[in-house]
Amino acid sequence: MASKIKPSFETTAWRWMRYSGILLIPLAWFHVYLQDVIVGVHAINIDYVAVRLADAGWVTYNFFLLLFAFAHGMYGLRQVMFDYVHKERTRRIFSILLLIVWLVISTIGAIALAMGARPELVQ
Amino acid sequence: MAAPSTPLKNTVKGYATYMGREGHYAFLLHRLTGLGVLLFLIIHILDTSTVYFYPSLYEHAIELYRATPFMLGEIGLLFAVIYHGVNGLRIAVTDMWMPKRWAIAKQRVSVRVALVVATILWAPGALVMFYNMLLHNFHIDLLAYLPFGK
Repeated sequence: MASKIKPSFETTAWRWMRYSGILLIPLAWFHVYLQDVIVGVHAINIDYVAVRLADAGWVTYNFFLLLFAFAHGMYGLRQVMFDYVHKERTRRIFSILLLIVWLVISTIGAIALAMGARPELVQ
Repeated sequence: MAAPSTPLKNTVKGYATYMGREGHYAFLLHRLTGLGVLLFLIIHILDTSTVYFYPSLYEHAIELYRATPFMLGEIGLLFAVIYHGVNGLRIAVTDMWMPKRWAIAKQRVSVRVALVVATILWAPGALVMFYNMLLHNFHIDLLAYLPFGK
């Protein structure tokens, strides 16, 4: 039965791309429109970030953005890489490198989100 | 003698010479906007993380984003985020509910519709960002030039 076949990693990853992509339309659009258009970079400073990161709702929102957008982007980059790299072994090496980059940067972002801004340390 | 072909060379040559028209341009724009947004996203996650790891550095990062070339880049970024979403939705909807629209003739329409929709969603934000850039970086208030100015 076709329905009994356990989906492979690639199938699961493909689904992730589609579902995260659909979710990112409201999430990322609202984020960019709010911060870059309505608020604007001239009104953003560390105090503004500190207020937002003190709010559990915005932290959750940003955490979802970090999770969905960055994983979506890094998997997309892996697909682009596959267009240029055809050797199985090289593909595997690049995939692992991308995974490490994704893990490291995601962890840095997640820690900053969880801990919040520290404007009192600005010199 | 012809230079040896490599995957990279083949791809770049293919991008430049493949005459797939609309579907091909949508693919190129989707890829370009995706890579552009990813590049910005990596920088953005790291610079915003300085609010916790190195707070004194954050103000410098924001200062950069306020510079004119960066603000122009942000207007482009807004288009990239919106176009990638609209075209992604076109791909998902076509795949899931109307696969017959993958026909080349139908795609010629859907690709244009996606571009128009993305431009309509982008334009108001782009105008506001451009207004803010002139206001803060050049001290030009475009609203003052309106006939019924503020």
